[in-house]
Amino acid sequence: MKPGVWHRLDIIARGLFPAFSVFALLLINLLPLSVPLLSTASPALALMAVFYWSVNRPDLLTAVTAFLLGLLQDLLMGLPLGVSSLVLVLVQTGSASQGRFFHNKPFSVMWWGFALVAIPALLVQWLLSSALIGALLPFKATMISYVLTAALFPIVAWVLARAQNTLLRYV
Amino acid sequence: MAQHGGPQQRIFSPLRTALHRFAFILLILSAFGLMLLGKADTVLIERIRAASADLVSPVMNVISRPAASINELTDKIYNLAHLYEENERLRRENQQLLAWQQAARNLSHENARLRDLAGYTSPPALHLVTSRVIADMGGAYAHSVMISAGSRDGVAKGQAVISDEGLIGRVAEAGYQASRVLLITDINSRVPVVVENSRDRAFLSGDNTNRPLLTFLTADAAVAPGDRILTSGHGGAFPPGIPIGVVSSVSENAVRVAPMFRRHQLEYLRVADYGLQGILSEDRIRQSQPSNDANITEVSPDLPDGVGIVPAGPTGNEGTSPSTNAAGEAQ
Repeated sequence: MKPGVWHRLDIIARGLFPAFSVFALLLINLLPLSVPLLSTASPALALMAVFYWSVNRPDLLTAVTAFLLGLLQDLLMGLPLGVSSLVLVLVQTGSASQGRFFHNKPFSVMWWGFALVAIPALLVQWLLSSALIGALLPFKATMISYVLTAALFPIVAWVLARAQNTLLRYV
Repeated sequence: MAQHGGPQQRIFSPLRTALHRFAFILLILSAFGLMLLGKADTVLIERIRAASADLVSPVMNVISRPAASINELTDKIYNLAHLYEENERLRRENQQLLAWQQAARNLSHENARLRDLAGYTSPPALHLVTSRVIADMGGAYAHSVMISAGSRDGVAKGQAVISDEGLIGRVAEAGYQASRVLLITDINSRVPVVVENSRDRAFLSGDNTNRPLLTFLTADAAVAPGDRILTSGHGGAFPPGIPIGVVSSVSENAVRVAPMFRRHQLEYLRVADYGLQGILSEDRIRQSQPSNDANITEVSPDLPDGVGIVPAGPTGNEGTSPSTNAAGEAQ
């Protein structure tokens, strides 16, 4: 069977979905919500999505994509350039290589895996940002951010899993 | 995108893993390269940041609206629950304000008469741009917000951003239709300030907490919790006399200030163009190079004196002193 142009375009569009979902989560992260806690420390939504896709579909979210998404995050959030890129590339490569470990395991294993991966990820982000800014950033906000990130992962993962099942089944 | 299948994959797969490894190292190196670039070429990075803000601002403009209406709903529920207390509080506040209104009327009459006597020229009219907060960036690592106004509306880098309560921050990058505002609580923010009662001068230095620090206070400065902090106008970045916050705690090694605004409740902000360009404006740096010195004082925007209540400091801002009010108006 020879796939037609539309079919191929459809496959490409579906293939871009993981990157797009990270981008959408980045924008959601930027939403001004009037919750006092979230204005001092926000969950790292992009990190969750990058981890999820690296474990489940590393072919659709490559290290290059992770790098570019990290760059976009730094640009949009006014963070020192390059830090998020580095963190997301490391998370992508690390989790993609360990991806097989999570296959056919209950979700809680993946949750634990993410909670473990997020610690060095946020630590590196905190350390490098502090070094580049030239002053120690408050560690408490990073801790709150970590707790929020780890706690909200199931919600994001559930949404992404639903999307994966409907959009990416045959891609 | 990776492609599946195909017999050539078997031949190329060792090559591909080598390529992957090489790409990984290359990406790590370019991340570090970006960090260096971000430190070295700030002008270029600023432009790229402004462009990226422009890129997402149409989307943020739309999706931040439902978020705002949800916020409104929760606010309404909260207000309904606290109606009685709020009413009591407002009644008390109204009584106090009426007394203040009387005082303000007397003072403004007196002020007008004294200005007439002194031949005072009023400061230039200020140009205000009101805009909506469409994104709240960062969290733990940065304190800044994105607003839906850019160079299209007359917003430029360095302008003061104020809310009803007082100073919020300054414009860090201005794109065409969106700009990023660096809040005074951000770790990169430094604002020259003065303590309202004691006239002690200091810097308000953000440290990414909700309570920025007062730094460079003199040892004999008299600062107590509850003192109001205003901009001092030094350096020409902000006009003097804009309220910033209230001293919240004084300890051995740190004086902390509670800003007037609450970050999660920022909704509409005003960008104020006072005709000041700040010490770091590109024009000003260019002009400060020794060239034809006669033009310097004319072209460079000096502080319009008398915007607030602070006399020009003894250090002097390039020849500005209270007696040369007219020079500030000349531009």
